[in-house]
Amino acid sequence: MTKYVIRRIIQAIPLLLIISFVLFAFMNSLGDPLAVFAESRQRPTAAQREIMIRRMGLDRPLLEQYITWLIGNDWQQVDSDGDGVVDSNGTRRGVLRGDLGISFVTRQPAWTRIEERLPATLLLMIPSYLITLALAIAIGVFSAVRQYSFLDNVITGTAFFFYSMPIFFIALLTIYIFAVQFTRWGLPALPIGGTGNGTLGDLALHMVMPVFCLVAIQLAAYTRFIRSSMLEVLGQDYIRTAYAKGIASSAVVRQHAFKNAALPLVTLIGLDLPFLLAGAVVTERIFAWPGMGRLFIESFERADIPVMMTILMLLCVLVIVFQILTDIVYTWLDPRIRYS
Amino acid sequence: MSTRTVEPAHSIPQIAPRAKGTSNLSRSMSRLRRHRMAIIGAVLLLIVVTFVVVGSILIPESQAIYNDPSRALQPPSLAHPFGTDVIGRDLLARTIYGGQVSLFVGVTAVIVQIFVGTVFGLLAGYVGGPTDSVLMRFAEAMLCIPQLFLALIALRLFSDPTQFPDFEFLGRRYSSTMIVIVFVIGLTSWMRVARIVRSVVLSVKEQEYITSAHAIGARDVRIIMRHVLPNCMAPIVVSATLGVGLAILLEAYLGFLGLGVRDPTPTWGNIMGDANSYINQWYYWFFPALFIMLTTLGINFLGDGLRDAFDPRSLR
Repeated sequence: MTKYVIRRIIQAIPLLLIISFVLFAFMNSLGDPLAVFAESRQRPTAAQREIMIRRMGLDRPLLEQYITWLIGNDWQQVDSDGDGVVDSNGTRRGVLRGDLGISFVTRQPAWTRIEERLPATLLLMIPSYLITLALAIAIGVFSAVRQYSFLDNVITGTAFFFYSMPIFFIALLTIYIFAVQFTRWGLPALPIGGTGNGTLGDLALHMVMPVFCLVAIQLAAYTRFIRSSMLEVLGQDYIRTAYAKGIASSAVVRQHAFKNAALPLVTLIGLDLPFLLAGAVVTERIFAWPGMGRLFIESFERADIPVMMTILMLLCVLVIVFQILTDIVYTWLDPRIRYS
Repeated sequence: MSTRTVEPAHSIPQIAPRAKGTSNLSRSMSRLRRHRMAIIGAVLLLIVVTFVVVGSILIPESQAIYNDPSRALQPPSLAHPFGTDVIGRDLLARTIYGGQVSLFVGVTAVIVQIFVGTVFGLLAGYVGGPTDSVLMRFAEAMLCIPQLFLALIALRLFSDPTQFPDFEFLGRRYSSTMIVIVFVIGLTSWMRVARIVRSVVLSVKEQEYITSAHAIGARDVRIIMRHVLPNCMAPIVVSATLGVGLAILLEAYLGFLGLGVRDPTPTWGNIMGDANSYINQWYYWFFPALFIMLTTLGINFLGDGLRDAFDPRSLR
């Protein structure tokens, strides 16, 4: 097992290097990273532009830029004032030594930008994910035990309905009903956007609608998944044996069926968890929520390559780490599985 | 438990002609016709397609582009059943013509996706070895990033929208961003198709009829075309159907963020994007969103039915 994990980690390293190089090459060779300065009030002249390009090292060959991004340039002489003459040692330490670069837009370290936004995203994603899981397990198991009953058909149909809904439809409808119409009718309305005035109660009020929308969107897929994996287990011989032995049906469902049906769920959770960090781009946009999804869009619109690279690499590392973790948890939950 | 279709027993199986309607395909089709959800899905799609086709016959395209600020943001009325948008364009006409573009983008993006995915999957599965590991690592790498993010990165390829001029086709002007979005969506969603095709190829490759085809000297291209590809058709059709729904949703999300197809071409997504700041005017965003939902709902019902029809084991 240890051997297997070590091998997986060793395999992950070249994969991450390839991903990072492709992304880096792609982003740096396309678009103009200095475009953001062209929009500013003091538009740089051609000469100033050239100095900036040299100072940021954007005139170097792509491979050299990538190596600088990866391991830094404090071991070589660079042109720090942009006059075309190599004068002093570089200051970048590189991603591998924890220096994720400086945001082109705010001139803060890219990691600071992410630290600012991550809590807001987690505040939205973790509650909605936990609610989704709890509801999905309850509804999915309920619906599988009563397969093809009236309620099961209603649940399956509704799940399909929400599964097909674009999230902005749900979001705009909830805003229209609970914010716009409630104000019109003189009822206490829910606040629309932002994170509130800083008090905990106000924050909770602002979270109601986005969390509701995220749950509504995610719930359908999870319910369908749990229902079908429960149905598979309920058809097994050992379930019939358990019933035949006279075990109460609630105990069969809970202890014999659900425990086994939950195994594939672990994989699904393991694969989905890292993406919670990516935030919900559309939901965050609609509810003006200052999270990671909006940070990515903002960085995209202003060609803020260091921030985009940091977000993407963070995601890739987490996806790979969670894949390995899922495998480990899986062997722990299901001793039949052995990796070699 | 469902009843399985039993093939009629023939006394001399090799010679007796196959009874009509017992081929794999026709059996699948008859299973599909009995699938209630699939029929509902097909009907929904038919309604949407009829709406955008018949609508475009009744209402000229100029209605979707003609703007008159004096009639901006009017709620639905007899003259404008879906109301008007912020610069006074008729939203019914825009929903009709936007729907055509959205459906076109959805279908063509899936064609791109299926083509790339099938080629990569066939190569990886059939050639194997280092080709397989390189292609699959590449697919794995792309799966590490959410598709909306991938689409945004791909958009950078075409970062300057003015570099492609509008083009005319059949007397109508389109924004070239329409084609850009097709490729952005197609090239960021092929990975699952490639994985499915690869797994089918890997299992088919070990079959005896492939060995015998090799033995009688068939070339690889012929083996792929005659024996391998037909086996991949069922999963490809299913994932293509569901893929159209996902592509339409992604187009809508991009349009909603203001990064999708640009003016003068309307799509359901970019109408929604315009409407984003006018939540109080419900008719502005309600109808395009409703049609996006009807379409994806129909596609998901139909895709689920197709999956059950092609794979009787999945029917419970």
